[in-house]
Amino acid sequence: MGNCCSDVAGGQTAIGGTGGHLNPANAPNDAVDRFLRSRGYNGLFSQIELSFSASGLRDRDVLSKSDPMMVLYAKGKNGALEELGRTEVILNSLNPTWITKQILIYHFEVVQDLVFRVYDVDTQFHNIDVKMLKLEDQQYLGEATCALSEIITKLDRSMTLDLRRREDSVRSTQSQNCGKLLVHAEECVSSKTTIEMILRCSDLEYRDLFSRSDPFLLVSKVVEGGNHIPICKTEVIKNDHNPVWKPVFLNIQQVGSKESPLIIECYNFNSNGKHDLMGKVQKSLVELEKLYSGGQGGNFFSSAPAGHNSHNKVLKSLLFVDKFTESVQYTFLDYLAGGFELNFMVAIDFTASNGNPRLPDSLHYIDPSGRPNAYQRAILEVGEVLQYYDSDKRFPTWGFGARPIDAPVSHCFNLNGSSHYCEVEGIQGIMMAYTSALLNVSLAGPTLFGPVISNAALIASQSVANGGRKYFVLLIITDGVVTDLQETKDALVKASDLPLSILIVGVGGADFKEMEVLDADKGERLESSSGRVASRDIVQFVPFRDVQSGEISVVQALLAELPTQFLSYMRSRNIQPSL
Amino acid sequence: MMASRSVEITILSAENLQMNKRAIRGNAFVTVKSDASSNTSATRVDSEGGSYPSWNEKVVMDVPFHARFITVEVKCKTSSTGSNSVGVARIPVSDFIGGYVPDNQLHFLSYRLWDGKVRRNGVVNISVRVKVAEHHSNSTPLPPPVTGVPLPSHPSTGLVTGIPALWLNYQTNSSF
Repeated sequence: MGNCCSDVAGGQTAIGGTGGHLNPANAPNDAVDRFLRSRGYNGLFSQIELSFSASGLRDRDVLSKSDPMMVLYAKGKNGALEELGRTEVILNSLNPTWITKQILIYHFEVVQDLVFRVYDVDTQFHNIDVKMLKLEDQQYLGEATCALSEIITKLDRSMTLDLRRREDSVRSTQSQNCGKLLVHAEECVSSKTTIEMILRCSDLEYRDLFSRSDPFLLVSKVVEGGNHIPICKTEVIKNDHNPVWKPVFLNIQQVGSKESPLIIECYNFNSNGKHDLMGKVQKSLVELEKLYSGGQGGNFFSSAPAGHNSHNKVLKSLLFVDKFTESVQYTFLDYLAGGFELNFMVAIDFTASNGNPRLPDSLHYIDPSGRPNAYQRAILEVGEVLQYYDSDKRFPTWGFGARPIDAPVSHCFNLNGSSHYCEVEGIQGIMMAYTSALLNVSLAGPTLFGPVISNAALIASQSVANGGRKYFVLLIITDGVVTDLQETKDALVKASDLPLSILIVGVGGADFKEMEVLDADKGERLESSSGRVASRDIVQFVPFRDVQSGEISVVQALLAELPTQFLSYMRSRNIQPSL
Repeated sequence: MMASRSVEITILSAENLQMNKRAIRGNAFVTVKSDASSNTSATRVDSEGGSYPSWNEKVVMDVPFHARFITVEVKCKTSSTGSNSVGVARIPVSDFIGGYVPDNQLHFLSYRLWDGKVRRNGVVNISVRVKVAEHHSNSTPLPPPVTGVPLPSHPSTGLVTGIPALWLNYQTNSSF
């Protein structure tokens, strides 16, 4: 945003607002994505505000009721707690509603475990800032824990948790009643509203010697100290004194608020980069909306030498607003709150190149010590995150490239051994189906993805036909390069029009170069044998081999794009979350 | 009248258009026709996008039931009357009719363009929606659920009137 006009071609295009207009030559060749970005849809808004209340807290004070305070922690992967914030102390209440909110950044791709601890703050400490309180001096009332994704996937985004005492959580069953904690999550809303305006000018002045001016508009906001920060500029319209520019998209978050003053400056484009100012006008979005509804123009002022507002001269040139619409762009969390789900599916590679599962050097070796193999780790890490978004937690699970008992090689068989249904219960169900399948099938080959992808696409299209509010995520874990590259591409191209994303995790030491072709981030846009091209990128590929568990996981990188892929599908079809 | 269905095709944009191995400079437009009818629709000429034109223009076509392909041709206007072909894409009707998803679903489709010498050219992006006759449409309120179908009284023929289960399923689930 606010790019300098370094070269003529680049300098004449519109920039900023909520979507930078990308130079097509460098843009990712994903048309839908680009279309959305040019319409102001970019990225995800992921600030979550948590509010807290409790009921039935234990009374620890002798003469009065408890004076509770809540402390919020984030639990790291190693179990260490990091304090995120404290509420105020509420006097004499066993059913407090705290005013202090906590703002968290929501990350789709990791499980964010939260711990809530409630303390009774003794009267002697009541004049001390809560941040300075020593928690070990306070009376501990209980604690609760949950994952952030559990809260936000609830329809009302509220979750009631039982408070327990720390020692209880170990003995778990016989827990003393310590009251309940209600946590409510709210997405910070300011960022969702986008304003679309069509701006037009009339009676601009001659600035060029032999022709009319080449005007463009620069919109800036005024920040503290009177400085201007440019937010967006329009494209240059050549040789026109009554220009109409393409729509400008402004996000309220960029502007500050609808009342914040905006400076709109009209420049005559000059290829040497010294554009001359033809006039400026200061209006807030509210005032621009009035111009629009009144159909009237606002006068430009000539700019006085620095700082002398009083000498501004009113110009004949006028600024008109031909269109002013406010739209709310729904976020990923809005869709979740509207009842949309991510449905998880798994396909596991049983080709012979994995090695004999009974030998320790096999990728499928089940370690008696319980240490998960690469397949199990990939299932656990991806499944751990996705399970919260799937309400029935029944996951279609397939294997490919093996011979089930008394049958020819199958390139898509149900991992649970059933011939009728492919679903298993929960992540544990996947793990059990996987280990039992290892005993019941003999590894074969070749590595074909086509049948698995087609099966997943079939489930996704049936959901669309039934009006389902679901988006599907197929995880394919494989040790080798696909044999049916073209068939896989054909299946993927067809699936690009469905609510489906595919994550491919490569395990083992094979050369996965060819697999990267499938991931449009890294290669060309996918093309089927019939000449159809994928309408959006639905594949993510990562090799898993370098990853040691416990470290920052590539799985996070793999999952990070899912909300964007979900939104590109929903928004391009104008599917609303209908809250 | 020839049996046909109405198909709404939105010509969105094209990418990386070339002529004689050079990026075209602009003035591209698109014509659309089916293999079973001679009616051709055309978009306006894009003057701004160069070799990455965008039109965002909706074309409604009557596509005969026996049509197998929609032909989308990107052309480049050279003079007030003349134009050169940049590339052609043949879109199988089966890409948006007859799959598992209902016909009135919006499809986003992209296709490789081929020029007159059968060389790969850029890509054209379209969206397609088959217009379904009113009483099939999702948006109309559903008729009260049908629990039985009155039969003409032929007590002895033993005829059973069946309703395809898939159709019923689609009707009951489409009320969201």
